[in-house]
Amino acid sequence: MRNDPQVDWFEIISENFMDNFGYARHVLERIASIRPIVMHGVSMSIGGADPLDWNYLNSLKTLADFVQPKWISDHLCWTGIAHVNTHDLLPMPLTEESLLHVIDRVRQVQDFLERPLVLENPSTYLQFKESTFPEWDFLSELAKETGCGLLLDVNNVYVSGFNHGFDPEHYIRNLPHSSIVQIHLAGPADCGQYLVDTHDQPVPTPVWHLYKLAQELTGGVSTLLEWDANIPDFPELVAELNKAGPVLNGAVPETSIHKLRDADVVSNPIDFQLVTHD
Amino acid sequence: MTDQGLKLLQNWMTSVVTERGGLNDKLLWAAERHGLLVEDVVTETCGLSAQKRLGIYVNGYVLRLLECMRADFPALRTFVGESIFDAFARAYIIGAPPKSPSLYDLSAGFPRFLQETKPDGGFLEPEITVLLDLPPEIARIERARAEVMRAPGIENDSPSTGTFLSFGMFNEAILLQVTPCLRLLDLKFPLVEFLRKLDQDDRPGPPAPQTSYVAIGRSNYRIHTQEIAFWQFAFLNACQLPVSLNSAVQRTAEQCGLEPASLFADLMVWLPIAIELGYLRKVS
Repeated sequence: MRNDPQVDWFEIISENFMDNFGYARHVLERIASIRPIVMHGVSMSIGGADPLDWNYLNSLKTLADFVQPKWISDHLCWTGIAHVNTHDLLPMPLTEESLLHVIDRVRQVQDFLERPLVLENPSTYLQFKESTFPEWDFLSELAKETGCGLLLDVNNVYVSGFNHGFDPEHYIRNLPHSSIVQIHLAGPADCGQYLVDTHDQPVPTPVWHLYKLAQELTGGVSTLLEWDANIPDFPELVAELNKAGPVLNGAVPETSIHKLRDADVVSNPIDFQLVTHD
Repeated sequence: MTDQGLKLLQNWMTSVVTERGGLNDKLLWAAERHGLLVEDVVTETCGLSAQKRLGIYVNGYVLRLLECMRADFPALRTFVGESIFDAFARAYIIGAPPKSPSLYDLSAGFPRFLQETKPDGGFLEPEITVLLDLPPEIARIERARAEVMRAPGIENDSPSTGTFLSFGMFNEAILLQVTPCLRLLDLKFPLVEFLRKLDQDDRPGPPAPQTSYVAIGRSNYRIHTQEIAFWQFAFLNACQLPVSLNSAVQRTAEQCGLEPASLFADLMVWLPIAIELGYLRKVS
């Protein structure tokens, strides 16, 4: 922290810092004093059928009062039911019932947090037969009805598109671009029949192409590189992020998708949430 | 086909992900309980079966939480070995799916789980049987250390709460209280040195059983894990709520069968150290 961080802003996983008063909080305070912070959560379960967890939301708001984040974001997903939290970003049945349910909950959360919520499209590995909306329409309706922002993860679009057979460019073209406030980049893993959002690899070429398209359609929004497992040294991370600028001018890196044995794969890794002792 | 509302689908999928058994067992159980068959629920596209798609979530669930538990108990893993640790951790995860939005809470019940599921040892030699208590005790101290890392500490205290006039304080009407980040443990083994060696990836032999008392505190964001004497353990326990030095000494003297004057003498030396290590502080 003695050196210039070389990036414009940072994103934290909200749950890592909620009710944490140790060294991590101290570091967060220092970083927040020199760069804007975005709070990105994984446990709001905005699509869950359980009632909203007001203890969680209170802790989130307390942390937001401390951090003064630029945005508070989470995912269009649910994490469990009957108070079980699987700590995974589970896929929504994209139905009229779900849409009305999520609209109501987003409104409640926004009223409580006194700011717009930002929701990210997750990587998904299954779709429900009951679904009647494509995900881009579901998100569009949600943004229109609630005024929430969208966090477009172009890697997740690519992963889900591969897994479900839709065109990722069509997905991105059909979102409300004025609602997109932020873009996530990441590298997935190729397990043969399907892709997994492992956040542990460089961004591959097809994802960079989607990124370029998204930036052209939005007119340019903030970009975050997610790298949550097998994290390289900071200079390498910054170098990967710095590829984003030239991509907008057509200099797209040639990077293939990392191949992996599927038995070892964990989607939505939590390495970033693990703590080691001093 | 059953009408598949949001709640029903989420109950079904949570059952499939978190219940024990192989995927086929889970699907049978979930079908019985929720009346849904996987082929009626999950779309099959791109040549990937519904079972394979669900399997990604099922496998990821346990592996993700297992990774978290491995990170929480590095010393225990070194002591019992990876495969034994994983077997117990998997059983714990399957037996008690997490309920907290924070992964930090996942391991809170693991020491107790190890204690409750340890073999009864009736068929073993007594000196071996007693060692069955060692893994739960290692887990207790590792969990306590993790709690100390995150708890509110004294780093932002004003200087006056942490500094003592080492002689003058015994004449002051001051109140003392343990810090929110102090954890006190009474253990069945002397584990502090043992844990230090495990942290360094040494493989020390198991310590002989012997009651020991441990204080874990934090100052300047550094964790201090120390074996303490019983009177120190009793004194810190007497300071759980704000208490005058005199009252804490009287209670400790009674509990330990010591003379208050002798305790005061020992505290003259030890109290400034205890404050420095973040065990307790003056309160107003």
